[in-house]
Amino acid sequence: MSRNPDWVKALQPSSPQGHELLQQERSSSKLAIEPLSEFLFGREAIERKFNVLQVLQSEPVFNKSQNAFDGRVQRFETALARAKKLRRLVVKHGWKEEDRRIAAELIGEPLPYALHEGMFLKTLLEQGTDEQRKLFYERAEKYEIIGCYAQTELGHGSNVRGLETTATWNADDKTFTLHSPYLTASKWWIGTLGRTANYAAVMAQLIVDGKSCGPHPFVVQIRDLKTHLPLDNIHIGDIGPKFGYNTMDNGFLLFNKVKIPHVSMLARFSRVDPKTNQYIRPSSPSLVYGTLTWIRSTIVMHAGAALAKGVTIAVRYCAIRRQFRDMDAPDSVVEEMPVLNYTLVQYRLLPLLAATFGLHFTGKAMMELYQENQKSMQANAGKGDLLPDLHAMSCGLKALASYTAAEGLEVCRRACGGHGYSSFSGVGGFYADYVPTTTWEGDNYMLTQQVARYLLKSARAVLNGESTSNDTTNFLTTFRSRSDSAPVFDVLNFDADLVQAFAWRAASMTFDALKKRDDQKMAWNDLLVDFYRLSKAHSQYLVVKNFFESLSALQTAGSLGTETPAVFRKLFQLYTLHTLDSESSDFLLSGAVTVRQIEQSRTTIMRLMKEIRPHAVRLVDAWGISDFQLDSSLGRYDGKVYEDMFHRASELNPLNGITIDSNPNSDVLFRSVGGENVKSKL
Amino acid sequence: MPDFTDNLKPLYDGVQTLVDERARSKINVEELAKHLLSRDDFYERQKRVTKILEGEPLFSKKQNLNLSRPDRYHVGLARAKALRRLTLKHGWDDLDFRMAEYLVDEVSPYHLHNSMFQQTIREQASDEQKAKLMPLVDNYEIIGCYAQTELGHGSNVRGVEALAKWDPKTKEFIIHSPTLTASKWWNGSMGRTANYAIVVAQLLLPKASSPTTYVNHGPHPFIVQIRDMKTHQPFDGIVVGDIGPKYGYTSMDNGYMLFDNYRVPHSAMLARYNRVDPDTGVLTKSGHPAVVYGTLTYVRANIIMHSRLILARACTIAIRYGAVRRQFKDRDAPNPAAVPELAVLDYPTVMIRLLPLLATTFALHYTGEAMYNIYWGTRKSIESGDFSKLAELHSASSGLKSLCTSFAADGIEVCRRSMGGHGFGGYSGILPLNNDYLSKPTVEGDNWMITQQVASYLIKKMETVVKNPNAASKDSTDDLFKHYLKSRSSKVPVDIVRFGQVDDQAIVEAFRWRAAHLSYLAYEARIVNKGKWNNLMIQLHKLSNAYSQTFLISHFYDAVMKSPLSSPTNTVMHDLYRLFALNTIDSDSHSFAATNAVTSASLDRIPDVVLHLMTDKIRPHAIKLVDSWSMPDYLLESSLGRYDGRVYEDMYDRVHRHNPLNKITFNPDWRNEEIVMGSGSGTQQVLAKL
Repeated sequence: MSRNPDWVKALQPSSPQGHELLQQERSSSKLAIEPLSEFLFGREAIERKFNVLQVLQSEPVFNKSQNAFDGRVQRFETALARAKKLRRLVVKHGWKEEDRRIAAELIGEPLPYALHEGMFLKTLLEQGTDEQRKLFYERAEKYEIIGCYAQTELGHGSNVRGLETTATWNADDKTFTLHSPYLTASKWWIGTLGRTANYAAVMAQLIVDGKSCGPHPFVVQIRDLKTHLPLDNIHIGDIGPKFGYNTMDNGFLLFNKVKIPHVSMLARFSRVDPKTNQYIRPSSPSLVYGTLTWIRSTIVMHAGAALAKGVTIAVRYCAIRRQFRDMDAPDSVVEEMPVLNYTLVQYRLLPLLAATFGLHFTGKAMMELYQENQKSMQANAGKGDLLPDLHAMSCGLKALASYTAAEGLEVCRRACGGHGYSSFSGVGGFYADYVPTTTWEGDNYMLTQQVARYLLKSARAVLNGESTSNDTTNFLTTFRSRSDSAPVFDVLNFDADLVQAFAWRAASMTFDALKKRDDQKMAWNDLLVDFYRLSKAHSQYLVVKNFFESLSALQTAGSLGTETPAVFRKLFQLYTLHTLDSESSDFLLSGAVTVRQIEQSRTTIMRLMKEIRPHAVRLVDAWGISDFQLDSSLGRYDGKVYEDMFHRASELNPLNGITIDSNPNSDVLFRSVGGENVKSKL
Repeated sequence: MPDFTDNLKPLYDGVQTLVDERARSKINVEELAKHLLSRDDFYERQKRVTKILEGEPLFSKKQNLNLSRPDRYHVGLARAKALRRLTLKHGWDDLDFRMAEYLVDEVSPYHLHNSMFQQTIREQASDEQKAKLMPLVDNYEIIGCYAQTELGHGSNVRGVEALAKWDPKTKEFIIHSPTLTASKWWNGSMGRTANYAIVVAQLLLPKASSPTTYVNHGPHPFIVQIRDMKTHQPFDGIVVGDIGPKYGYTSMDNGYMLFDNYRVPHSAMLARYNRVDPDTGVLTKSGHPAVVYGTLTYVRANIIMHSRLILARACTIAIRYGAVRRQFKDRDAPNPAAVPELAVLDYPTVMIRLLPLLATTFALHYTGEAMYNIYWGTRKSIESGDFSKLAELHSASSGLKSLCTSFAADGIEVCRRSMGGHGFGGYSGILPLNNDYLSKPTVEGDNWMITQQVASYLIKKMETVVKNPNAASKDSTDDLFKHYLKSRSSKVPVDIVRFGQVDDQAIVEAFRWRAAHLSYLAYEARIVNKGKWNNLMIQLHKLSNAYSQTFLISHFYDAVMKSPLSSPTNTVMHDLYRLFALNTIDSDSHSFAATNAVTSASLDRIPDVVLHLMTDKIRPHAIKLVDSWSMPDYLLESSLGRYDGRVYEDMYDRVHRHNPLNKITFNPDWRNEEIVMGSGSGTQQVLAKL
C-alpha cells in the first residue's frame, strides 16, 4: 500500500523532465551505440549478459531495494540466500562458468560462495596431484564441500614469506601438525571462511626435520559437515563489519596443534616424501607467476568497467541536474544550466570517461599478449619468453588501473553534489566494494618496487649491450641514443609524438633512478618514492600506447563508420593531454616537452572537452550497463531521477513506518512500528 | 568462554614499540597539547566530558557498524535524549554539550534543533517572535529542523521551488510545493524527529495595482508546525518522511517534505528584517542582515578548526598503526635473517603519504587561530557595521573552507589506505570518520562552486589596482598586487633551496608571487580578453586554491617565527612548516615554474630535501606529535590507533567476543533452503523482508 496521498502522487518534477533531457542528449549525437558496444565487448558476451539478466530479474530474491537499509547480519543472510539461488540457477539453466561470473557481476554484491568458486577451486586444480584432484576437486566442483583460500594473516598481508602459521612434518606417524604460534598468526580477511566454508586451503610454513621450507598450501577440513560447527582445536569466525564487502563473511582461523594426513599437502610442484621424510623442491616456480600475471590483467580490464559504472551515473545525472544560470547568458535566459555544461564538471568527468576506454583497451591487449605468449612458449619450448616483461607490466598497470578506478569513483560521487551522498546514487557502494582492489593481489605501493626492479635491470642490460629486444629495452635504447640532443616532441599535432613523449619520460626517469641506485649507491628504502613515480610513469606510457594502438583497430572495423573513430581519437587525446598536464613536472624535467607546450595543451584540453561533450551520454550508453546492475536513481537510463529518488525514499524506506516520541524527557523512543504499538525504551 | 586463543600473543609487541617510540623523542607532549588546544579550555573540557561519557553504557560505540539503518536511528535517538539529560544533570554549558557531541561522534537526531533551527530563530525572528519561541526551543518543548535544500536544488538558494503565497483575505500564507522537485530534501532531524520546521520558500505577494497578479520577492524563512504534538503524525496537507540510507550520517533522519496549499498564520514568517504588513500586504525591509557576513566568517573558521581535528584523528590512527605494523625486511640490511621486519612507518612511500598530512594539521591550526584572532579583534567594528577590516578575511575564508575540507576528506582516505588491509576493516576507527566527513566538501557551498567567489573577488581587486595603481592600499592583497605590477617585467625566479639550506622567507614570497601572477592572468583572461566565465572555471579554481595556500603558508610561517614552544618542539614545528611548504610546491611545481616564482634548480632539489626532512627530522617525533593532538581512545574507537599499541589483541577481542555474526551458525549447503542452521526457516524469511 502506498504511503503517499493522491496530491503527492500527482506531482511531477519541475520542467524540463529528465527523460526529455536524456532524449535530447541522445539525439544530439550520431554515434552508433550498438556497433560500438559490439566492437568493445563482442556480440556473444552481450547476448550472454542479456539472457542472464532476464533470468535474474525474474527472481524476487535478487531485488536490491532493501540492501542499504539492512544491518550486517541481515545483509549476510540475504547474500547467502542469493548465493544458493544462483547456484541452483546455474544447475537449472546449465550455465557455463562465464554465465555465472556475469550473473555475479550483475547481482553486484560479493556472495558468500565467491572464494570457493574462485581461489579454492583454482588452487585445487592447479596445485593438486591427480589423486588430490579426485579427492577434493571433484567434490568441490559439485559444491559437496565448500572451501576458501587462507593465506593472509592478522600480522601479514603482502609478504607471504613472513607468514606465521606452521605445518610441521611428523616423521613417526606421517602427518603434519598445523599450528598458530602467535595471535598475529591468525588467518585474517579470508573470504567465505567466517561462516560459510567447511574446507580451507591453508598457506603455512612447512617445517621438515626442524628446517623451514617456506610457505606451502594444505587442504584442511575445518567444520563438521553435519553440524557445521568448527572441528576441535580449530577456531573460526567472521572478522566483523568493514568499509564495504559486508555481504561477505571474511574470516579468521587459528589452529591449536591440529594433525592432518600426508595427502593434505597439495603436492603437484613440491612435496614431502613419506618414505624418506625428505622435502622435494618445485621444479619451476614461474608457473604461479603466470597465474598472478593473468589475475592482474583481469583487474586492469575490470577497472575500466568498474569506473564506467560511476561515470555512467555521474554523466547521466549531470546532464539532467541544473544549477545556476550561465554567468554570461543574456538576461532573457532564465533557465539554469545543466551541470554537465560547466567546464569545471567536464574537467572532472570527461577525462574519466576517456580513461574507462583506455583501461579497457589496455587490459584487453594485456590478456591477448599473455595468451599469445603461453602459446608460443609451448610451441618453442620456453624460448622468447615475454613473461618477465608481462609480469612487470601487470604489476604496474594493476596499481595504476585500480588507483584510477577507485579515485575516479569518488570523483564521480562528488560530482553528483549532495545527492551523491545518498545510497540511492549507487556510487558510494561501488567505491566501498571496489576499493580493496587497491590493496589485494599486491598492495599498489608495494607492487611498484617490482616494476622499478625490472626497469633497472633492463636499463643495466641496455647499458651493457646485452639486452634482448622487447618494447621496454627498445624505448630505453632509443632514449640512450638520443639523450644528448633531447628532442622536443610535437605533442599537440601528432598523436604518435604524444606516445613517444610518454616513453621518453619513462626512460628518462629509469636512468635517473639507475644513477641514484648504482652510481650514488643510495639505499633501496630511500628510493621507494622515486620508484613509485617511475612505475606510474611507465604504466601511464603503457595505457597511452595501447589506447593509441586501438585507434587503428577502430578505424579498420568497418562497422563503425567515421564519426566513432574520430570521437575516440579525441578521447585518446583528452586522456593523454590531461595526464601530461597533471604530471607536467616529470615531462618538463625529462625534456620531453616545453613549458609553452604545457600551457597550450590546456587550451587543447578545453577544446577537446567541448567537442566530446555532445557525445557524453551516448558514450556511457555504449558501456551497456543495465539499470539492474547500477541500482541507482541518479544513473537511470530513462532519466527519471527525481521520481525514482522519491519513490525509494517514501515507499521503500522502513524508517517511515516508524512513529517516534520526540520529547527528550520521555523514555519512549519508538511509539509504533508499521502501525503496531511498540513503546521501545532506553 | 575460555578457549585456546586466550593466551596467544602477537609476534611483535606493539606496547613496547610505542614505549620505545615515545622514549626517543624529547618533545614535551603536554606543553604542545596545551599550545594547540587551549582555546575555550578545550584540553581540560575534553578530559572532563570524556570521563562522564565513558561511564555511560549507552554511549559504547562497539556495535554501531553492525546495526541496520532503523536500529542506528533508534540508538541515535536514545543517545540524543540521554545527552539532553546529562546536560541537565551535570549543568553543562553549550561548549560542554558540543564537546559531548564531538566525542560521541555520531550525528544526533536533535542536531538541527540545537544548531540551525535555534540559530535561525535567534537571528531572523522579530523580538516578539523570539519572546514566544525561544523558551520553547531552549527547553526542547518543541523540536525543530531547517528546511531549505530541495530535491532539485542545493547550492542555489534563489532557485528553491517551494512557494509561500500571501492570502490578503484570510491574512495567511499558503505554503505549496508545485512540483515533485520542490520537495524539501536532505533536511536533518526532519524525517522522523522534528515537530517544527523553518521552511524557506519563495514569498509571493499580490501587486498593489492588480491584486490577482503575484510578484515573487525571493526566498524567505517561515516557521511551521509540521507534526501534531500529541500523536506526532504530520498534519493533513503535509507529507514528510526520511530520505533513506546514505553513505554516512546513518543515525540522522534527513528528511523530505511536501506541502499541499498548506495555510500558516501571518506570524509564521520570521520578521526581524523583512515583514509583510498584514493590512496592506506590502513588504517592508528594515535593516540589513549584514551581521551574517561576520557570522559566516566565524562559522568558516569553525569548520577549519574542525577539519584540523578530523585530519589529526586520521593521522593519529594511521601513524600509530604504521609504527606498530611491520612488513618485509630491509633489503639493504647486512644480515636480514637477524633483524625484525621494518615498521611500515619507516618506508618513505608511507612517510610521503602521512607526514605531509601531519604537517597539514598544524598548518590548519595556525590559520584557524589567526582567523579567530582577527575575528575577535575586529568584533567591535563588526558590531557597528564596519566590515572593511574583515573583507579580505571573509573572501579568503570561503576559499580556505574549500581547500581545508578537501584536505581533510582526501586525507582521511589517504590515511585509511596507508594502513593496508586493516584500514578496510571496521575496527580501524576510520570508517565512520570517512563516511560522515565526506559530506563536508559538498555541504554549505560545494567546494568547486564556492571557489568562484574567491576568484571573482581577486579579479575585481586586480582590476582596481591596475586602473589606479597609486591609490592607498586597503589590505595586504592590495599591497601584493601593487608590488606585483611594479616588478612583473623585471621578475627573476628565486632560489628557495640552496646548498641544502631552505630559505623560509623566500618560500612565503614565492607563494605570494604565484598567487598574484595567477590573479593577473585571470584578470587578463576575463577583463582584458573577455573570456567566457564557463571556460575559465578550471583556471579560477586553481587560482582560489593558490590564494588559500598563501594564507596557510604565511600564517604557519608567522607562528613558527614567534613560537612560544620550548626546544626541541619549536625546531620540529619549523621542520613541519618546511615539509608542508615544500611538499605543496612539489605537487604543483609546474605552476611555480610557469609563474617565475621559483628557479627550476630549486624545484629539482625539493624531493631530496623533503626526504631528508621526513626521515631525519620528523619521523623520530611522529608518535609524540600525534599524541599532542590528545585524541582520547573513546573518541578514536580504533584498534589500530590505540594509545597503548595493543593493536592486535584489541582487534581480536572485538572480532571474537563482540561480533554478532559469530553467534549464528549458517547452513552452507546450496541444496538446502535453510539459511540459519537448525531454524528450519528458509529463503522465505529473507524474501519477506524484501
